[in-house]
Amino acid sequence: MGTLDFLMNGFSVALQWHNLLFAFFGVLIGTAVGVLPGIGPMSGVALLIPITSSLTGGLGAEDAAVSSIILLAGVYYGAMYGGSTTSILLNTPGESSSVMTTLDGYQMAKQGRAGAALAISAIGSFVAGLFSLIGLILLAQPLSEVALRFGPPEYFSLMLLGLAAVSGLAGKSMTKALIMTVFGLLLATVGMDNVSGVARFTYDIPVLYNGLEFLTISVGLFALGEVFKTILHREANEGTIAKITRIIPTKQDMKDSAGPIARGSLLGFFLGVLPGAGATLASFFAYVMEKRLSKNPEKFGKGAIEGVASPETANNAAAGGAMIPLLTLGIPGSGTTAILMGAFIMFNIQPGPLLFDEHPQVAWGLIASMFAGNVMLLILNLPLVRIFAKIIATPPKYLIPLIVAFSVFGVYAVQVTTFDLMLLLACGVVGYFLATNDFPLPPLVLGLVLGPMIENNMRRALTASNGDFMIFLQKPVSAVFLMIGLLWLVIPLVLKWKGKKVDVTESM
Amino acid sequence: MNKTFDRYASIAFLAIGILFIAESRKITASAYGSQVGPNIFPMGLGIVLIVLSLRLLYETFKYHHSEKQRSSLDYKRFGIIFAAAFLYCYFLEDIGYVLSTFLFLLIGFQTMQKGKIWSSIIISGGFSFGVYYLFVEVLKGSLPGLPTWLGLL
Repeated sequence: MGTLDFLMNGFSVALQWHNLLFAFFGVLIGTAVGVLPGIGPMSGVALLIPITSSLTGGLGAEDAAVSSIILLAGVYYGAMYGGSTTSILLNTPGESSSVMTTLDGYQMAKQGRAGAALAISAIGSFVAGLFSLIGLILLAQPLSEVALRFGPPEYFSLMLLGLAAVSGLAGKSMTKALIMTVFGLLLATVGMDNVSGVARFTYDIPVLYNGLEFLTISVGLFALGEVFKTILHREANEGTIAKITRIIPTKQDMKDSAGPIARGSLLGFFLGVLPGAGATLASFFAYVMEKRLSKNPEKFGKGAIEGVASPETANNAAAGGAMIPLLTLGIPGSGTTAILMGAFIMFNIQPGPLLFDEHPQVAWGLIASMFAGNVMLLILNLPLVRIFAKIIATPPKYLIPLIVAFSVFGVYAVQVTTFDLMLLLACGVVGYFLATNDFPLPPLVLGLVLGPMIENNMRRALTASNGDFMIFLQKPVSAVFLMIGLLWLVIPLVLKWKGKKVDVTESM
Repeated sequence: MNKTFDRYASIAFLAIGILFIAESRKITASAYGSQVGPNIFPMGLGIVLIVLSLRLLYETFKYHHSEKQRSSLDYKRFGIIFAAAFLYCYFLEDIGYVLSTFLFLLIGFQTMQKGKIWSSIIISGGFSFGVYYLFVEVLKGSLPGLPTWLGLL
């Protein structure tokens, strides 16, 4: 069967009425998650995992997985659409990937062009979504065929590369990011060892034999951590919400933003495919690039529509691009995709090169559903944007306790132990302290998800080589991966070091 | 950057690294058919964690004089909500989902902002009953029901 046949099969899965419904709720919740400042795509996806797993309880194993993943992925890319709304109307980004949108978006809103800004970001996001989907379709098969030839040493090195890339780019301090990665990997070793069946770090506590549940930790770190921060710092939406007047952009607006949308899609997509870069960096680079390319860069920051179109397009393209390493290699490149991967594993489906062979239903159904989801998002975000803008006004008084209650429900519904609830609260506190002190959390979750796989591949490779660690360097592909991973960590250090030197000489 | 926190954090991670190394020495070093036992991976990670936390400790000494900008944090509100959440989790299995969720939400809403007691009661009641009904009756999931000593069920 060719790619097209698979895609058609995918559509036959995605267009089943219940899957359409799942996609619709996914993108609807995603947009709301994007609009609400207290809750980001990571906590949104994590919170919904238990709910989807109980919603799909009546379906067969594979059908349940397809429907759940369709919903969760919808939350992910839906949040990218919704994130722009608060940036434009309120000057507060709903997500970190929408920070750049505030620069020109809020200015446009002040000039009474909020509707045009919202429309352009919805249109840009739609184009980017389609673009990255086509990229995904074209790259999925060839990439997974390459990945199928990888053995344990190559996989081990590739995963190390992924971790290195995410740690190298996350947060302000690389030391802290690496500490979080290693800590995540260590947490993953608690419990029964998959290979030998030996219990590690369990101290005869029965609940620990299954290991620390990834879901509990990620809901705690992201959702509760964020909630605690909101409570402690008394964060509230201040300022007035700009009025939306005319939604349809003018011809001039469309003409001005056509270029930025095309370039933003391309740039965002490639940055998304790279592990570690992700939506936030993509929107940043896209904005900077447009400013450089523009004939009158002084317009930027004063309500240029290009400044809204390019970052919003790029962050959506990056979200689509990030699905590629997840689906074809089984390696998530960002915090949200790590959580999505956790969801796949919970449904007993291993993302990676075999996904397209073993579960074509899931892989192609998901891809096809993303087409449908993007169309729904365009409809939700163009005519209905006024309704979503009202969500911003949800009083935190109700929102904050409800998020806590939802987290407790979600964790208890899946784990059914008080131990996990206590772990949830502890992770919330730890997550708050780590995040407010610039310890990035996504590397920790990534380490937790990838830990067992890294260890298995390492030990399989070492078993084959009789314990000789040189096997990772003797296999050329593996050596190249390790080399790139090392460069990813070293280059920023060198740049920083050089930058410091320049500073010193200048001050002298 | 917060010098004090980073210093304590680096020491805490150092301790975690040492703990993992010490504890992984107790795990058997051999696995059947392989020279690589289940102890290698955590031990190696422990070593890396120690190196990294020493590096962080070293970095904290190089921080520029950190200006103290203590914004007053709302400890009282956080304390009440956290304590309520702790009790909620602790007693969830004993007093049942509906009752504990209702109480937690009511306390939470009122702590966030006093007043409008009736809408708080309606929303917390609606949420706790709604979730319980949907999950247990419609989706056939399992949550602890109302406590038996109420004699209702």
